[in-house]
Amino acid sequence: MNFKKICSFTMVGIMGATTLVGCGGKTSSEGAITTPASVEKKDEAAPASSNEKVTLRVLAGQSTTDAGIEDMIDEALAKKYPEITLEWECIDWGKDFQPKMQQYMQSGLPDIMIGKAQDIATYGAQGLLGDLTGKSYMDNVLGEALPGVTIDGKVYGLVYNALYQGVYYNKKIFTDNNIAIPTTQEELKAVIDKLNSLGITPFATHHADTWSIGNITMQFAINDVFNKFPTWGDDLRADKVSFIDSPEYRSAYEYNKLIFDNTWKDETFSLEQTECDARLVQGKAAMKVSGSWSIQNFLDIDENFEFGIFPFPNQTGDAKLIFEPNITLMKSAESPYQEAIDKVFEVMTTDKELALEIYNYTKTASMLKDVSPTFPNPSQVDIDKYAASGQIVDANTGNNQLQWGGFQEENAKDIAEWLQGNASLDDALKAADARKANSKP
Amino acid sequence: MQKNSLERKETLQHMTLILPGMLIFTIGLIIPLFLAFRYSFTNWDGMTIDKPFIGIQNYIKLFSDVYVKDAWLFTIKFTLWNTILQNIFALLFAVALDSSIKGKKIYRTILFLPCLISALVTGFLWLKMFSNVLPALNDLLGTNINFLLLGNKDTVLSGLLIANNWQWVGYWMLIYLAALQSIPSDLYEAAKVDGASKIRQFIHITIPMLAPAFTICIVGITTGSLKVYDLLVSATGGGPGRASTSIIQLIYTTAISGRQYGYGCALSISLVAILLIVALIQVKVLRKKEVQA
Repeated sequence: MNFKKICSFTMVGIMGATTLVGCGGKTSSEGAITTPASVEKKDEAAPASSNEKVTLRVLAGQSTTDAGIEDMIDEALAKKYPEITLEWECIDWGKDFQPKMQQYMQSGLPDIMIGKAQDIATYGAQGLLGDLTGKSYMDNVLGEALPGVTIDGKVYGLVYNALYQGVYYNKKIFTDNNIAIPTTQEELKAVIDKLNSLGITPFATHHADTWSIGNITMQFAINDVFNKFPTWGDDLRADKVSFIDSPEYRSAYEYNKLIFDNTWKDETFSLEQTECDARLVQGKAAMKVSGSWSIQNFLDIDENFEFGIFPFPNQTGDAKLIFEPNITLMKSAESPYQEAIDKVFEVMTTDKELALEIYNYTKTASMLKDVSPTFPNPSQVDIDKYAASGQIVDANTGNNQLQWGGFQEENAKDIAEWLQGNASLDDALKAADARKANSKP
Repeated sequence: MQKNSLERKETLQHMTLILPGMLIFTIGLIIPLFLAFRYSFTNWDGMTIDKPFIGIQNYIKLFSDVYVKDAWLFTIKFTLWNTILQNIFALLFAVALDSSIKGKKIYRTILFLPCLISALVTGFLWLKMFSNVLPALNDLLGTNINFLLLGNKDTVLSGLLIANNWQWVGYWMLIYLAALQSIPSDLYEAAKVDGASKIRQFIHITIPMLAPAFTICIVGITTGSLKVYDLLVSATGGGPGRASTSIIQLIYTTAISGRQYGYGCALSISLVAILLIVALIQVKVLRKKEVQA
């Protein structure tokens, strides 16, 4: 009886204590997270000499195009620094990167994190990431990659590659039917009418992937909203602007309807990206608002597929092609293996063979100086043309202002509800306003 | 005195045996539950160390949150249909395969196999079935059946029920099958002597004798369906829009992606409370039936 009582009291005590105490860590004066106990212990075990064997933990938030590059990196690293081993944890960036980071922020961050440039705004500002400013390997990175990963003059991310976003189009369909690249909304509508009259579906879409709705909406917003109002996100949080009262954001939402009305309406919410990309290649549709992540699919289906890219025409006819810094390497500010991490970053930026292998595999653009991918990319001509005329805009102008998970992602669901007739456009815009507290990256 | 010492020894032995399981259960379930209860009174975002106390605001909010209402509505519909359909099909298959039909072992294996697959794979598989494989049948047969069930808010529930039943019917069938095989045959023989038809035998012998199996299956399917998550992640992602967002999925997206950990914890606690109530009612009602049987 007594023993039972003691056991019961002990259990209740443990439960009560955990309820009151919460879990570890200390708060600095700014509210940033300080070193968890586990990391402090690890510090004591840091290698004494630079040639001592080190295993670095890597959390890799990958896009669909990136899976497999970890083997390439391992191989290149083993050649130059055999004493460094990478322990990979590869996850889907869109779904799992933020949850994993949340988890590790409580227990200690991995030594290296691979995410997207927009993650710098979320984690760099909290003092979690190591400063890369002035590191010699950063000299190999293109200057265009730096603004999106710089906070208060300090660089927190090494941007490795870039994606381009806009309207990918089937060149054969455009050439065979004498269709010119549209630059205004009126011209786009004329193209849509012509394609419809020819019995060709104007837009390929895959709304089963809600992220694609979120992505294209941000593409529209970058050209119609953020390009003109660079602090729109901050203004939203300061109650100076709102989704419901912004004609520009309303237009960005309405483009979704334009596309939905000119795609395989009945099927799009059941279609995934691979099938959708295949249909564009097969000529079943003429255009797709997408990004470079589709190129891998295009060329896997038909290596001779001729495609181009143009910016989705905006209200003022001055839309720009969107450039998105993609794979971004970050290091933990608290990792005891700073030297080893720098060696990994050095390999990543100086090994041109590795860089080429990765770019050609992911079918993405280089963010390193003097490295140009060699895979056949028919859309490169268009990209070069827009770059030469200064018609390129960084996706981070929008992504760094409006959080993806919990905000853009949720807005995309509202848009899907509206497209399916379950809500009005105003409902969708008001819902975005209602969750603006979650919009800060 | 000697009896007391023996009792103490026995208690000690029991406690020693219980302790490892109790510890794992406490660390893995009870402590997180208490922590979640504590966080439910904060507006913690899951990232910072600060967990500002906001009282019962999260609990007030969940009563007016339209997304919570929709998620519960979907979860309840999914649970009700699943419990009805899965029990009916599982019982029918069990009765059919309890007979002396040829190749019954092969049928049992085929029916049981899907439950060995991960629910994530099942979701992905049925997404492909509905969007690629079955529409191709339309082309082949020249028919025009709408197989795109997962892409429409009106049909997404049916699509998910098909996928879920396909996966789990075989599992529950085995439980009914085991229960059927444990019914003493002399009961049927006595009924036959009394002139009872097959249907009367089924209603008056089989069904009452299956009461314990009903309890297991109904409680299992109900609680499993209320917690549905992985199937939805791969099959619909909670869409189209939010048409197939379950309460568990909403908790995850709110707490983790939406960085409203405190609110997510309040949702979790409300789910635990509802699950407990449902299970208690079911067990109480069904146990009564078992006793009556």
